[in-house]
Amino acid sequence: MSTRSKIIQAIEEIAAAQKKTLAPLTDDLALTNSGLDSLCFALLVARLEDETGRDPFSESDEVSFPVTLGELIALYEHEHA
Amino acid sequence: MANVIITGASRGIGLAIAQALVRDDYTVIAIARQETEELAAARQQAPESIYFAPFDLSEIDKLHELARELRARFGPIYGLINNAGIGTEGILATMPESNIEKLIRLNMLSPIMLTKYVVRSMMNEGAGRIVNISSIIASTGYQGLSVYAATKASMIGFTKSLAREVGRLGINVNAVAPGFLETELTGSMNDAQRQRIAGRSALQRLANVEDVAEAVTFLLSDKARNITGTVLTVDAGSTA
Repeated sequence: MSTRSKIIQAIEEIAAAQKKTLAPLTDDLALTNSGLDSLCFALLVARLEDETGRDPFSESDEVSFPVTLGELIALYEHEHA
Repeated sequence: MANVIITGASRGIGLAIAQALVRDDYTVIAIARQETEELAAARQQAPESIYFAPFDLSEIDKLHELARELRARFGPIYGLINNAGIGTEGILATMPESNIEKLIRLNMLSPIMLTKYVVRSMMNEGAGRIVNISSIIASTGYQGLSVYAATKASMIGFTKSLAREVGRLGINVNAVAPGFLETELTGSMNDAQRQRIAGRSALQRLANVEDVAEAVTFLLSDKARNITGTVLTVDAGSTA
């Protein structure tokens, strides 16, 4: 499964578990408008760390949380490179 | 067997908690800088239930890796007992800055950072229990312990807000505030001082480490499923 697919699947499952209604998951979707709250994003980071062994936000103080879904995916794809 | 991490598990309160949790069928991951004879003896009695993870908790930048390693080796973490700490005394005006920094690093920064990374395993499981060992000094005050008191009071604020934060994920966060304990007094106080402190408590005696351990096992049990964001004081009524 690609990194992109893992992230999309994780977002959909977290939204379902936390009873959140998701906006259509396009690359230009602003994460603040996605329907997920800050705890959901914390869950996403925790789950992706479990699945991929990576946490790009803790690996550098210079990484700030991305604005769009596309930027979030790119951050994890970059970590895979 | 649910996995529980205990910091500072080589002696005193931490060791008593480890022994009580083994009795209650948990798997204990005991973190300490060095293994004591007492912890080694406890491990010999229950080799399948207590594991020793040597680690210096002042090494903040290695806590993330520690949490990852423990998760990978043992599987999901159900409980975290932030017990490790130091009780350096000193009049603030003359206390070396290095002592102040060390107190804050070990008693405050380290448990917060370890929790940051261990709570992720609990979030993924949708269940977990965190117990922060505070102190009655957090609320009563004691001459020569202002920095220690600040760190222990911080654990209560941390407990309450984190309980709010992760409650909807099925994670309970509580604090235990021990008073002056029977065993910890023996080294530094004489009989007259002990009797004076015991005489001030409602029960006319001092609590001991086993009493604190039972409070922690209760907070980890299903009986405490609806208790979160609170402080359980174990002091034989000295602050009553």
